[in-house]
Amino acid sequence: MAEQQFVPPSPLVSQRRLAQRQRAEGSWQLFRGHRAGMIGLGLIAIFMLLATSHPLLMSTVWDRRRYDPIVGFDMAYFPHPSRPSIDHLLGTDNFGRDVLSQLLFGARVSFGVGLTAGLVAAGLSTLQGGAAGFLGGLIDQLLMGLADVLVLMPAPVVLLIFGLLVRMEWPAVGVLYGLLTGAGAQAIIVKSQTLSLRAKPYIEAAQAAGGGRLHVFRRHVLPGLLPLTAVNLFLTVVGAVLTESLLSYFNRTRVDLSWGTMIWLGQETFRRHTLQGQWHAILPPALAIMLFCSAFYLVGRALDEVLNPRLRAR
Amino acid sequence: MNNKLVGFITRRLIRGLVALFLFQTILFALVHSLPGDFASIAGAFGGRAGRAAIQRRLGLDEPLGQQYLDWLWRAAHLDFGESFLYSPERVTDVLLARAPRTLLVFLSAAILAYGLGLWLGKQVAWRRGGRLELATTVVSLAAHTSFAPWLGFLALNIFAWNLGWFPYQHLINFNKWLGTDISIDAILLRMVLTGGAVFAAGLGSGVIVRRVRNRARRIAVRTALVFATGLVCFAWWARSGHASLALDVTAHLALPLGTVVLLSFGETLLTMRATMLETMGADHVTAARARGLPESILRDRHVARVAMLPVLSRLLLSLPFVLVGSLVIERVFFWQAMGQVVFNAIEFQDLPLIVGVLSLVGALVLISHILLDVLYLILDPRLRYG
Repeated sequence: MAEQQFVPPSPLVSQRRLAQRQRAEGSWQLFRGHRAGMIGLGLIAIFMLLATSHPLLMSTVWDRRRYDPIVGFDMAYFPHPSRPSIDHLLGTDNFGRDVLSQLLFGARVSFGVGLTAGLVAAGLSTLQGGAAGFLGGLIDQLLMGLADVLVLMPAPVVLLIFGLLVRMEWPAVGVLYGLLTGAGAQAIIVKSQTLSLRAKPYIEAAQAAGGGRLHVFRRHVLPGLLPLTAVNLFLTVVGAVLTESLLSYFNRTRVDLSWGTMIWLGQETFRRHTLQGQWHAILPPALAIMLFCSAFYLVGRALDEVLNPRLRAR
Repeated sequence: MNNKLVGFITRRLIRGLVALFLFQTILFALVHSLPGDFASIAGAFGGRAGRAAIQRRLGLDEPLGQQYLDWLWRAAHLDFGESFLYSPERVTDVLLARAPRTLLVFLSAAILAYGLGLWLGKQVAWRRGGRLELATTVVSLAAHTSFAPWLGFLALNIFAWNLGWFPYQHLINFNKWLGTDISIDAILLRMVLTGGAVFAAGLGSGVIVRRVRNRARRIAVRTALVFATGLVCFAWWARSGHASLALDVTAHLALPLGTVVLLSFGETLLTMRATMLETMGADHVTAARARGLPESILRDRHVARVAMLPVLSRLLLSLPFVLVGSLVIERVFFWQAMGQVVFNAIEFQDLPLIVGVLSLVGALVLISHILLDVLYLILDPRLRYG
């Protein structure tokens, strides 16, 4: 009898990789057909361009003394706030600072806060909810107990009050927001999703085939949770940016300049300095917040529709 | 089955209570890890003796364990101590006294926004495509993602400042209230009751006319009932002689109410539209259409009724967040109510009040979550028998 050769399962693995790649490509094709999602993606790209253009402009074209978003002042114009002009495309605010430069700087802060919060929330909720749903038992009780407590604390209120004790920089705001929403409400949703995944036959098959807990969790449960993670990530950004703006607006952060502080300053000085009101200083940040949040909202919803198998069938 | 339901509710309640207990513990730890304590903030001007006196009065000189037990005991009795800012008043009283003002704005706004969002979302989803869908989607998205203080500022600027249609900020016009013997809150409470009565008439008449088969007659009966209730309320207001005061409050109410509606209807509309589209492809709808049912019945009874459930659950979950919105909106419009009190508390470090508000929000969230779980269990047979 010929010695039976052990066949390594690598071809299977590569087949699975191929299938995964094809599925990802299919999702991308579907997403490309989603008009609102593509608009959102385009807006995000534009904002990214704006955010990265600021340091470049500061180091090349813009004079630091005239265009610095926080301490800049232009002697050539009087009085401040000045209307939009060739030098200052969006005019200056009443401290003589260039509004466009502030707007671009604010985009950087918003991206920072939003993405920090989104990543923390999505990562935490997936791990916490996934582990609780997959492992069950004491770990489930502990993790869900944590979620039960955190869900009682709405992030904006808690952060507003926490801002009274500690004036936070934007990374702290992002991390705290992500923690409160991710480990709270989102973890509960992810857990219920995990429970319905665990009941699927392919998980049982993987376990019956001798897959270890970690292996099954990483290879079979996590990929099933990824769509929800992506949606959570994008939708958290919306709340985080709005909350950061709110905190900065009420002077509860140590952020020097963000869209929230720009709106606050614009409102504070709206009628005291000019009779006509300085819409050029207050409209850009307000529209920027709206468009930024809309972009992330649109992409999040589009992902939900594209990746959700129930909707996909249509 | 009934046993199962009771068991589930009991288990859910116990879990909720444990969460609430942990929440209070965290609050206790947070307050005691502050750089200063209650006494050092309140007794800043009293010197060492004053501080000691306040510590004694607040029970801060006792051992920490004893304080913790006291804390839990008092929290269980909804007693969060004495407010610093409104000194002789208890925190609970301070908050409860201003609750009608907040409720007036936010409850009516929630009802309006959800009504509008549900109805528009239904219509838009049913007529897929076209300019209407684009316009409503853009407007609701813009409203949902706009920055709340900015929207309030815009409303004030356009409608109060430039056009002069509505009074500028504040709760009332004091000149009109000179010489009246009734308090603002009493008027507000009556207004809430009036609104509630008309709303209840609208809902209740639906139950009454359920048996009536003729559509035109059904609508006529409902309209008549709501109209009659309104008439009774109107007569009551006219007799009480406070109608002008109520009108004054209403004029001041218009802008904040409109802003809150604008801020919150977008999300409802978008969710409703999405769930409608999801349900429209379901098999039971196809079956109903094959039976030859008219489109309006299909839309209202077979699609909207199913699609509404997730939206309503969202409403229930978002109700505790009324306080979040009130913080911002009341600040912008100088609407002197619960949110303003909380904001002042934050500004002046009124710790008992802050802790009280956080506990209140936590309790409200917990209650709405439990309610939702139980409601789902009752409404969805799959969960009951599964």
